[in-house]
Amino acid sequence: MASNDSLNASLRIAGSGLETQSARLRIISENIANAQSTASVPGGDPYTRQTVSFEDTLDRASGAQLVRVKDIGRDSSPYRVEQDPGNPAADDKGFVKLPNVDVLVELADLREANRSYEANLQVAKQSSDLMNQTVGLLKDV
Amino acid sequence: MADVYLFKLASQRTGYLSARQTLIAENVANANTPGYKAVDLKPFSAALQETAFSMAVTNPAHLTPAAQELDPPQVREDDAANATVSGNSVDIEGEMVKLGEVNRDFTEATNLKKIFHQMFMQALK
Repeated sequence: MASNDSLNASLRIAGSGLETQSARLRIISENIANAQSTASVPGGDPYTRQTVSFEDTLDRASGAQLVRVKDIGRDSSPYRVEQDPGNPAADDKGFVKLPNVDVLVELADLREANRSYEANLQVAKQSSDLMNQTVGLLKDV
Repeated sequence: MADVYLFKLASQRTGYLSARQTLIAENVANANTPGYKAVDLKPFSAALQETAFSMAVTNPAHLTPAAQELDPPQVREDDAANATVSGNSVDIEGEMVKLGEVNRDFTEATNLKKIFHQMFMQALK
């Protein structure tokens, strides 16, 4: 039945959206958790902020445009440098490299990911709702 | 009984709405995909209008076209007026509005089917 096929497809699409947004939430939480992670050796590089990027992809089975994580990259912006001679990760001049994570940026990203996740959830809920309505036609015939 | 198109029309309507639901799902899923352009269907009445006419059979030798079906959904690219820097033109709020429309219309169409069925049953009893 054609209409149920495309409702199934929209469930799959919403599912792929939920998957990618949760992958994005994982990356954001890794970034926030490591916002203060310095190197374990003196003068070494600290944690590097990770970035995530999406792409649309054709699902050949259903002909639907799904979404998936394209790649998880590393932010190439410079590290913050602080003068803290007592820090175990300080180099011989007393400078410590701190991660290039800006918690405010991560929080803004978090909000956006949250919003997109909810939207996908809404679509998934409605798709199964519509299928139930169709099946519900068989009730009290 | 052959000329009752109520069920066919209602089925075309749900078929159209399901296809639209799929496109909404695609748009929402790709709301953060760089370069993705939002898509939509043309209104149901316009889609129906295009297939409403069939050729008249004035001679027994005329071939009747096969079952009159709706065109496959034509995907129309929205005006990318609100495209972001990444080239994405999905407007999540707009998609949520469309989601509500589809929900309403789909409920209407399925309820109509139910009522048509009750009408037939009434005639039979």
